[in-house]
Amino acid sequence: MKRGILTRIALFAACIVTAAGALISAPARADTPYKTYTVNGYGEIRETQTAYLAHETILKFGDEAMNSPNDICVTADGRIYVADTGSGRILIGNADSELLGIVGEGVLKTPKGVDVTPDGHIYVADRDLNAVVEFDENGTELHRYLKPENPLYGETMSYLPIKITVNGAGLMYVVCESNTNGIVELSPLEGGTFLGYFGTNYASRSLQTIIYRIILTDAQRAKMVSNIPATPDNLDIDSRGLICTVTRGDGINSLKRLNIAGANLIKKAEPIDNPAAVAAGNHDNIYVADQQGYIYEYDNDGDLIFVFGGRDDGTQRIGLSSMVSGLDVDANDALYVLDSNSATIQVYEPTEFTDLLHSALYLYSKGQYTESREPLGQVLRMNSLFDLANKAMGRAYFQEENYGEALRYARLSKDRTGYSDAYWEVRNAWLKKNLATVIVILIALAVLLRVLKTLDKKHGIFAAPRRALAKAGETKYISSLRYGFRYMRHPIDASYGIAREGRASRSASLTLLILFIAEFLINKYLCGFLQKTVQEGRYEFFTDIGAILLIAAGVTLCTYLICSINDGEGNAKRIFTVICFSLTPYILLTPVSFALSHVLTGNEQFLITLTQVITYGWMAVLLVTGIREVNNYSAKETAKVILLTLFTALILALLIFIVYVLWAQVVEFISAVIGEVSYRAG
Amino acid sequence: MRAKGRYLLCAVLAAVLLLAAFACAESPDAGLPDGYTLRAESEEWEMYLSEPTLSVLLRNKAAGTVLESTLSDEKDDGKNKKAWKGYLRSGVVLSVIRDANNTYQADLINNEHTIEYTYFENGFRADIYYAEYGIGFAVEARLEGNDFIATVPDDSIREETDGVYIATVSLFPMMGYTHLGDTAGYMLIPDGNGALISLTDKEGRFATGFSQMIYGPDSGFSESAANTLLWDRYETVVKPNRVTAPVFGMAHTEEGIGYLAVAEEGEDRCTVEAHPNGAMVDYNRCFAKFLTRDIYQQPLNQSSSGSVKTVEKDRTRHNMTVRYCLLSGDNANYTGMAVRYREYLLSTGRAEKRDTSWRTRVDFLGSDREKFLMGTRAVTMTTAEQARAILDELHARGAESTLTVYKGWQKGGVNALPTDSLNADGAIGGTKALKSLIADEGEKGHLILLYDDALRMNAATTAFTYDAVKMVNKRTLKEENTKQVYPLFYRLIPKKSAEKLENLVADMKKNGLGGIAVAGISDTLMSWSLKGGYYTRGDCARVYGEAVKNTAEETDYTALEQPAAPLWRYADAFLDLPLDTSDYMYEDEQVPFLSIALKGVLPMWSGYVNFEANKTEFYLRLAETGVYPSFYVTAEDSSALIYTNSADLYSTGWETWRETVIEYDRELKKLAALTDGAFITGHERMDNGVTKVTYDNGVNVYVNYSETDAEIDGITVGALSWKAGEAQ
Repeated sequence: MKRGILTRIALFAACIVTAAGALISAPARADTPYKTYTVNGYGEIRETQTAYLAHETILKFGDEAMNSPNDICVTADGRIYVADTGSGRILIGNADSELLGIVGEGVLKTPKGVDVTPDGHIYVADRDLNAVVEFDENGTELHRYLKPENPLYGETMSYLPIKITVNGAGLMYVVCESNTNGIVELSPLEGGTFLGYFGTNYASRSLQTIIYRIILTDAQRAKMVSNIPATPDNLDIDSRGLICTVTRGDGINSLKRLNIAGANLIKKAEPIDNPAAVAAGNHDNIYVADQQGYIYEYDNDGDLIFVFGGRDDGTQRIGLSSMVSGLDVDANDALYVLDSNSATIQVYEPTEFTDLLHSALYLYSKGQYTESREPLGQVLRMNSLFDLANKAMGRAYFQEENYGEALRYARLSKDRTGYSDAYWEVRNAWLKKNLATVIVILIALAVLLRVLKTLDKKHGIFAAPRRALAKAGETKYISSLRYGFRYMRHPIDASYGIAREGRASRSASLTLLILFIAEFLINKYLCGFLQKTVQEGRYEFFTDIGAILLIAAGVTLCTYLICSINDGEGNAKRIFTVICFSLTPYILLTPVSFALSHVLTGNEQFLITLTQVITYGWMAVLLVTGIREVNNYSAKETAKVILLTLFTALILALLIFIVYVLWAQVVEFISAVIGEVSYRAG
Repeated sequence: MRAKGRYLLCAVLAAVLLLAAFACAESPDAGLPDGYTLRAESEEWEMYLSEPTLSVLLRNKAAGTVLESTLSDEKDDGKNKKAWKGYLRSGVVLSVIRDANNTYQADLINNEHTIEYTYFENGFRADIYYAEYGIGFAVEARLEGNDFIATVPDDSIREETDGVYIATVSLFPMMGYTHLGDTAGYMLIPDGNGALISLTDKEGRFATGFSQMIYGPDSGFSESAANTLLWDRYETVVKPNRVTAPVFGMAHTEEGIGYLAVAEEGEDRCTVEAHPNGAMVDYNRCFAKFLTRDIYQQPLNQSSSGSVKTVEKDRTRHNMTVRYCLLSGDNANYTGMAVRYREYLLSTGRAEKRDTSWRTRVDFLGSDREKFLMGTRAVTMTTAEQARAILDELHARGAESTLTVYKGWQKGGVNALPTDSLNADGAIGGTKALKSLIADEGEKGHLILLYDDALRMNAATTAFTYDAVKMVNKRTLKEENTKQVYPLFYRLIPKKSAEKLENLVADMKKNGLGGIAVAGISDTLMSWSLKGGYYTRGDCARVYGEAVKNTAEETDYTALEQPAAPLWRYADAFLDLPLDTSDYMYEDEQVPFLSIALKGVLPMWSGYVNFEANKTEFYLRLAETGVYPSFYVTAEDSSALIYTNSADLYSTGWETWRETVIEYDRELKKLAALTDGAFITGHERMDNGVTKVTYDNGVNVYVNYSETDAEIDGITVGALSWKAGEAQ
């Protein structure tokens, strides 16, 4: 009976996952031929979960294959417009590879850029037609915008439109080949009014070019490659009307988000080698495709969220490209990457992980901080090292006024601004709570001090310790050490003492050097988070100590060598002593900046900077006066010796480099001989 | 008179009928292309031969459908040039090396040759000789039941001219071919778990097709190719899956005919080729291409700026055999192929039925190293005690049966390679703690295996490199990465791998430990040179095979990481079975070929769930394939690994994974209980996004990948979920 029931009412196991993010409906591919990387708070590249899955490759629309296509535009309703450059037309299709229409056949010559407005108007940048052509949704030509006649455009300047984007008001932003003045801004009024150039790039100016400009003649300069600003390679407009551009070879300025005034809102973005296309995402994010097939996703601030994809290694795998020329994103965050070499479109779909991240970013941007923490938490559960999520989490807690948690996440994500803001609040709260106690304690301490002083005066309660101290101070070692204070206050007199009177002992010098090293290490590794220049948990004591000793020895040696051939009176010991004693300001002031680094916020860091400037300035003064006195030089001689010392140091470094290079050559030669012999010997 | 006339008429009629009957008997191949003669016959199949071009035709008796092995006149589209014509119409095609620089095609149409046939009961032998090249060899073909077996015997190969050698042998390169989209069906390729290339018109979209060496590329020959790197540093392109099973297949689904081909001998130096139409010619074709001799670059100096092209001194010596398991009717599909492969594996002893009962795999990382001062220091992730706590927690919460691979247990951490003794890292608690963990947890049902990468050698922790593999060009084979602590690894000479593995196993046995997970040598084959000698992949396969066999004999449980097919017979478990393909553009569908073949034979575990971006889909895939889930966990949070070589383990913290492990165990265990030990007999994808998997014990599993509920066999399967039960 039981058996019968079992067979009739089949035995079913339930399934755990019934509600989840958007999933691919078909049994899709989950293995990707590329890795996905992100950048952590230190700016290091880290591998992370696959962010986008290569979903499919569109090879044709209906029976129409693409021919050297150059641009792609995907509209909200999922229509895909491709500038089919080789065939002189615009192909319209959808993700199912169905052909929905062909526009501009017989009209267009080499359409290189295409954009479509929400009302369905198609704008085409046609290079060889020297025009921007506007079609209506049925493919009827409405307008043709030819070369602007405005003298500001430049009479001799060619008009070769290659990329275009159009804003809600119908203003056209056109990238023209070889036009280095910037993006051409056209108004549709009166058949195309030139409004001016927009978002002009700057010419790069390196130290080398500056030196060349100074020393070369006009004729020589004319022969050099002219240093002109680069033309943007591609552009797109986001939902807020901001223009995103990408420019090759512009380093951290490769990606820009320009406001209406042409100002770049992204301070610094991870550089892109050969940017080919840019697309504004649905969450204030920006996508950039590199010609080699790498796809970058940046957040609103230009922080890199993901980079993935790669160059087809000849194995023809979905998701790898050989020459990317266009990129767009649809309403579901699917990416369409156009490959002009293989005339295909790669479609990438976001994974659960990316969807969660996007929804968190979206909620955050809408001010729903508490709600954004849930997806962020899920993201962090999937990848606890994803610093961008840690950062957003910290910021969300900050907005919720949970400053303790905000501080923790900001530190995890190395978000200095967030940390500073949260710390200000935490410190403020602490002060509010404890200010009265602190004041009471301070007053109590002051009173206690006063009482002790009075008692000492009357009954001499500290007489014995004072005597002991005085006695200790009489020893040569202690008095030598104390001489450091005098050296700080009266460098000229005191260095005379070091040079002529032997007031500073070698043991005191060594003690100062050891103190310096100890303080340097403590300050480097244990200072406040905002001042930290090293990664947390990273300790390289031996390297640091080695470097300090090497520099101290090198400086002593170079100075001694130079001084001895310049009739200096100092010997190596004295020079070493002067150098060590010159470290005194560092030894005295670093504890101050160290303490400050633990209690100051980002806005108050200038206090630490000021302390450091004073420290290093003081050290420099001590060093110079010391060398002068030790060698009995005049001011002029001292300057000469210091410059010569610097020069010697440079030569020494060069020498080491040459030996290193020659050594590598010798190794290469020997191994080549061995290689040859072993080959011949079989 | 009238009667006489009637008799005469009858006699004439009888004579005509008799003649007709004779005529039929004389040519049983009526309806087949001209020139074919019946040479062998089995219950279901007939084998015909056309002698001049070594063209074999396999005919299914019941259906009358045929598989052709060379291009026929009828199907010739006339578009092909001379060389291709020769290729398409020959039963065997060679490529011949002359003077290290040039390779030539030698076929049976364009090249002068002699061919002599000898016939035996169920087949024939063809001795072919090219006087022009001084090259001779034989092809033997037999029909054994439902199998057609083709062999090039090693002892038949003659290379009589100095400097002229056979480079490759393509055996029946057109077996079962079709033209454009004329015939419905697909080709099966051994990519990942399995993939299909449909026999539709590809409209010239693909320049090449699938061409992968069985058991992975030969690192002894190819220096790792210069890849394009992101910012000149980061490798973004993931290598395609290695071919673990030496199989490929062709199914003409509407005609109900097909085959599963198994490269049976010589497969360790053989590529599987499967090219869709448009890749050079308009025919869909798949075949095995055996490599006998290769050309390589011999660099003359360290910077590789000068090199000479050199031919391998000796050819690879092995028979080259392909067994075509012929399929017909309802079996002419990928499920049929997988079922047939399973039968083949079990009947030939290439795999043995093991305990396939449910275990959730929870692997631990013991320790790794990060740079510290002048050297390195341990980053301890999971000590033996922490591992015990995690397993006990799992036990208490219902996950009572687990499999654990303990990685990074050895002294010096997970990258301290090679390992040849049971010397656990002090950081995880030392050998004593490890032993007691394994013993205590084993009693509770938690099987713990020690992980051993027997292939690699860490350049930083090994003082001498004389045990490192040198490629055929005598350069040390290097595996370089861009990681922080250990950027360089070498590979151990196979003999040394075997020795060290043996030592480890002996030490483990001495200490009463009997579970090991072997990696590295389980999925790698290479050629190498040593002291002037040269060794082939075949040698490598023999040494590794012997090592794994001994390990399996000496231990209680031997799990292998992505093992190549020859090692399956020794394995108690198949770890890291790929559930996906390499995403080749020409692939039309991925199918669970390997998991259908091995379900019920070997227990299989997936790659780590941790690093899957689409977890829901991965979970469903596990239900579909019957593969058990794997997790990689650490007691400490994975952020501690940031400065180690394991920095790519971005999510392993037990805090993060605790609930998921328990959930997966709870749910998938129910399914495993229904299907344990059973074989998969059917696998079907429906239009509504549901996949139906049928087991031979009557259980059906329905997996709904769509985002809406779906109805199938009168059962509603919820969106993105599965149901299983006995058939109604």
